[in-house]
Amino acid sequence: MEKSVYERPDGRKIDELRKIKIVPSVLTRADGSAYIEWGQNKAIVGVFGPREALPQHIQNPTKALVNYVYRMATFSVPERKSAKPGRREIEISKVSGEALESAIFVERFANATIDIYAYLFDSNAGTRCAALTAASVALADAGIPMRDLVPACAVGRANGQLIVDPCKEEEDAEDAVDMPMAILPRNKEVVLLQMDGLLSLEEWKKAFHLGLNGCMQVYEIQKKAIKEKYESIEKEDKKAIEALNEEMECLESEGQNSAEGDYVEG
Amino acid sequence: MEYKVVVPGELISESRLKLGQHVFIENGKIYAETVGIARTDKGIARVVALQGRYIPKIGDLVIGVVVSEEYSVYAVDVNSFYYSFIPKEEIRVLLRKGNIISAKVSKINEINEISLTNVRVLYGGEILLVEPTKVPRIIGKNASMIKLLQNSTRCSIIVGMNGILWAKGTEQGIELLKKALDKIERESHLGNLTLKIQKMLSEKPSSE
Repeated sequence: MEKSVYERPDGRKIDELRKIKIVPSVLTRADGSAYIEWGQNKAIVGVFGPREALPQHIQNPTKALVNYVYRMATFSVPERKSAKPGRREIEISKVSGEALESAIFVERFANATIDIYAYLFDSNAGTRCAALTAASVALADAGIPMRDLVPACAVGRANGQLIVDPCKEEEDAEDAVDMPMAILPRNKEVVLLQMDGLLSLEEWKKAFHLGLNGCMQVYEIQKKAIKEKYESIEKEDKKAIEALNEEMECLESEGQNSAEGDYVEG
Repeated sequence: MEYKVVVPGELISESRLKLGQHVFIENGKIYAETVGIARTDKGIARVVALQGRYIPKIGDLVIGVVVSEEYSVYAVDVNSFYYSFIPKEEIRVLLRKGNIISAKVSKINEINEISLTNVRVLYGGEILLVEPTKVPRIIGKNASMIKLLQNSTRCSIIVGMNGILWAKGTEQGIELLKKALDKIERESHLGNLTLKIQKMLSEKPSSE
């Protein structure tokens, strides 16, 4: 199948993602945040919470609510888009929120809500995947306990060829199929899977595996983005480990110390 | 002993160990649940969180703001997941909305709601915010860092374990303290922090 020489408009291989750049902690007022550049897609995600859910009647005493808000800026598409959230944005907010909810330990935060705001500033197909990928980095940045990160990636078909991460041009092909998916990489659990277009069962199976591989690539990028922040510091100073030791001791003796140690009058 | 930065869902250990903070177990394997540094010594698998909100512990000293008065309790914002409560029958002082108080955590329930005792109202001074996960570094080994800060800035400081600091002193002292706290937060991973801060604080007056 791969022998048919299919040329992608941007010269990528069929299983090659666009260039992804993730920067955690970009907003100061949010509890956690991340900026993502996925090809031409650009998004900022801010996480607030867990905090009290209001009005009170929406609270759930067994778990936290995950309020995911996906919005595209009016200038993110060639033709000015209405600022009012449309059907599409509301749907994406719902499915992405549910995908993240399965990764977060929601049962720890009763009556609370975790607000996640994902804003797209520039788009070129695959924005829901980009926003979801950044959202899980932002959640990790906020220190919210999670079972796993949630990498997302789209697969599709254009001109009879299955491809990973289709761009806008490919998405507009005659026989185009678009299948965004998100997984928990640890056990390959699928938390988001949508599809528009038609695929035969054989094709779908192939597409699914391509998608899994794509997600795993995204996962590696996510991990790297989070760790880079700390590992660069470690490289900077060989004594990092020494410092950590010190910190551990502090943590251990915290129980006794916090009582007298910090309660000193000047 | 190796220290490794882990992300949520990353494997820490496959062997049977006691579970410490910020880890969970699935199919007999231990995974991290937050970003942090993994440790598996002393038979305990745990992650020292690098980011995150204040998770209350009994006996912690916290600083908060009174946000409302109910019939029998005061609600206090201590920068945790929920407001915490002080039963009125337990305290003698009258509190008002907006009062800054220091108190001890007396009770925590299963969803991390806190009750407070040993309430003291703090008058004047300034409130400074730091990351709750970096509070141990601000206190330092045997409270060395906090003593250093107090002596060199001539402020009286109370550190809440919830990442809220109360400081009272001269204007210059507070400015200096803010700079020092910034440095501590930024370089909380690096070694010899107390020495570095000492150097920085002793340099300051001569340069100005």
